[in-house]
Amino acid sequence: MVKRILLYLLLVAGAVVSVGPYLLTLNAAFKSKQEILTSAPWAPPENPVLSNFADVWGRYDFATFVLNSVIVAVAVTLGQLVFSTLAAYAFARLEFPGRDMLFWAYIATLMVPQIVTLVPTFVIIRELGLVDTHLGLVLPFVFGFLMPYGIFLVRQYFKTIPVSIEHAARIDGAGTFTILWRVMVPMSKPILGTLAIISFVNTWNNLLWPLIITHSEATRVITRGIAQMQSQFNQEYHLVLAASAMALLPLVVVFLTFQRHIVRSIALSGMK
Amino acid sequence: MLAPSVLGCALFLIAPLVVVVVLSFHEWNFLSDPEFVGLQNYRDLGGDERAMRSIGNTFYYVLLNIPIQTVLALLLALAVNAKIKARNAFRVIYVLPWMAMPVALGVIWRWVFDPANGALNRFLDLFGVDGAAWLTDSTWAMPVVASVNIWQYTGYTMLFFLAGLQAIPGQLYEAAGVDGASKPYQFFKITLPLLKPAMLFVLITSVIGSFQVFDTIHVMTAGGPAGSTATLNYQIYLESFTQRNAGYASMLAVVLFAVIAAITLLQALFFRKRTVYDFS
Repeated sequence: MVKRILLYLLLVAGAVVSVGPYLLTLNAAFKSKQEILTSAPWAPPENPVLSNFADVWGRYDFATFVLNSVIVAVAVTLGQLVFSTLAAYAFARLEFPGRDMLFWAYIATLMVPQIVTLVPTFVIIRELGLVDTHLGLVLPFVFGFLMPYGIFLVRQYFKTIPVSIEHAARIDGAGTFTILWRVMVPMSKPILGTLAIISFVNTWNNLLWPLIITHSEATRVITRGIAQMQSQFNQEYHLVLAASAMALLPLVVVFLTFQRHIVRSIALSGMK
Repeated sequence: MLAPSVLGCALFLIAPLVVVVVLSFHEWNFLSDPEFVGLQNYRDLGGDERAMRSIGNTFYYVLLNIPIQTVLALLLALAVNAKIKARNAFRVIYVLPWMAMPVALGVIWRWVFDPANGALNRFLDLFGVDGAAWLTDSTWAMPVVASVNIWQYTGYTMLFFLAGLQAIPGQLYEAAGVDGASKPYQFFKITLPLLKPAMLFVLITSVIGSFQVFDTIHVMTAGGPAGSTATLNYQIYLESFTQRNAGYASMLAVVLFAVIAAITLLQALFFRKRTVYDFS
């Protein structure tokens, strides 16, 4: 009995710590500037206000930041899905010289942190004339920071699909692209969903690359916008907390909607 | 079929890797022609107190993170794996922090750890305890920054342990129970050895992840106070994009990569022996 109580204490403590910061932030976002400084952080707002949100949207072009984040994250996710699937199929099914060596070369680059290739990547984007553009934000993500992982994930999954299904389709006259689109992709929905989630979350949350490659308001994404607010008004908690709440909320909603799938996804992404 | 990916990766993955090594032998400010300086950058490293300190800070950060995060994750996995009510709800709640935006977390943590108005010191006040100055205190700043990472990834790490636990055949515990083995004995002789593959995956990915901390440090401390939270990762950013020493920063980047590769290899060697119980 004592053991059960201890077990549930541990479980509940873990849950409180996991959810606490979200709730405190949401709570504070509805307090006035004065109330944040005077009231206890865990006390509910006495006079709930919406002015913090209005201030963030009014003083900044927050709508543009959100739009930019959505455009970049969606573009990266689609690019990842298309190019990883094509390459993964080649690595899983096609015979060509040096295939396995090339594959392991891709995998070895999984150990390379983003910062290591940052200076050369910046120079390449600069030479292509893509500094401060959406394309400049997207390309290195699709092909540099995320691609090896995507190829690895999808290739491992393709390997588990029996070749006999493909042979049957080929006898029926299907070409490689038809097989890929009509057979492999529909059978790989779980792993493609996983890849989509991981790509989207990573791009949406990333600060380092936008920090280096963009400088105008027109290309500013949310992470950069919040980092800038923080350095401008580091004691104006009512503003930065309202902005943070808005940045966190979309992914929380996505998470709770697809929670079963996401939890399974993470387990799949660790599969070897 | 491979063409787009190979071309794209050649340009944004392979070329940068080659260029960073070449640049590490040069001095360059991003504008004038790079000047070849041989091994000078590597020779300068030993005498560069900031860079050496940032390497120390990185190891400190990783050592704060990994043991706490791994032990907590394992404990939670064992708890969730027990016969409990609302198992799925607990699992979902623990994973919730994983997808939170680190920049926003940095902002929130700054507020929670604010010496005067933060939630933590207000809470400690209730018990008459004077809280520390946290992020403005060079002793506390790094543990506070590490706590964000621990909070964010413990539940995520738990999922891999949980998958590992569920793959252990129940028969092993039954047999051990019949032989009179105690619960702790079963844990150390069955659970832990059979979790090795999960442990290896968790350690390798979380160590690589910890070496790359950037967003939270940028927002919470910008490397301060007095350089106490500047990790090597952050130092490379400062050298390249605020000091504009592209050559020297590239040398640091090569060093960072070498350190990560060496640690990953050591972990893989350490865990190479797998435990197999044959009960067929």
